[in-house]
Amino acid sequence: MSDDIAPEQARSALDAVEGARRAVGEEVGLPRGYWWAMAAGWLVLGVLGDVGPVWLASVATLAFGAGHSVFATRLLSGRRRTGGLRVSADVAGRRTPLIVIGMLLALVALTIAAALGLDADGTGHPSVWAAVMAALVIGFGGPEILRVLRRWAHA
Amino acid sequence: MTRARFDELIHPSTRLTLVATLAAADWAEFAFLKERLRLSDSALSKQLATLEEAGYVTTERRPAGTRRKVRARLTPAGREAFDGHVAALRAIVAEAGPAE
Repeated sequence: MSDDIAPEQARSALDAVEGARRAVGEEVGLPRGYWWAMAAGWLVLGVLGDVGPVWLASVATLAFGAGHSVFATRLLSGRRRTGGLRVSADVAGRRTPLIVIGMLLALVALTIAAALGLDADGTGHPSVWAAVMAALVIGFGGPEILRVLRRWAHA
Repeated sequence: MTRARFDELIHPSTRLTLVATLAAADWAEFAFLKERLRLSDSALSKQLATLEEAGYVTTERRPAGTRRKVRARLTPAGREAFDGHVAALRAIVAEAGPAE
């Protein structure tokens, strides 16, 4: 039978295989709920950092980090974005968790820089406003930012 | 190393896309496959039944609220057949030389 297959047909079949693999690769990511939970956590920490005592903000930050490492570890591989499928480890690659962690660290740095800037500018409640900004970025843009970063990192 | 083996069961385009999708995933839900492949319920069921009969795919029915969801996954035999088929396609292309 394979003798009857023209090279052009074989090429187009291989293209279909590659297309299917790429389509599954597009499913790599984290659930929407993860990003909104992260945004909510960011906001709570920002408010506590501004109006609460230092000890409470510190405890909340540690609790948030611990909660994230317990509940989100399974999600960070990016293989369970939807309930429709679980992407294979081979297609998801191993860099997605590193990209997510790097992205979150960059957002921490951005939040601190924004709060310092707003504080220097004399804005009231700088850490709340900085947290609101970061939460909006995470909640609305998290999935898209991750998609772009994965493309840049060839993950 | 994968042994190149053309597989007539996998080769038809819809089935090839279905198997390639399952090969890139640990499992996929019926609804996801249906949407991705733009197939009707009956057409997808038929394709899955053919692959299941050949031992290439397994399906399981899982309770989801009041309904049951069907989840499909490639078996080791299905993965081996798919890898062999892709290797055979590559061999045909390689034999023909670069595309003009």
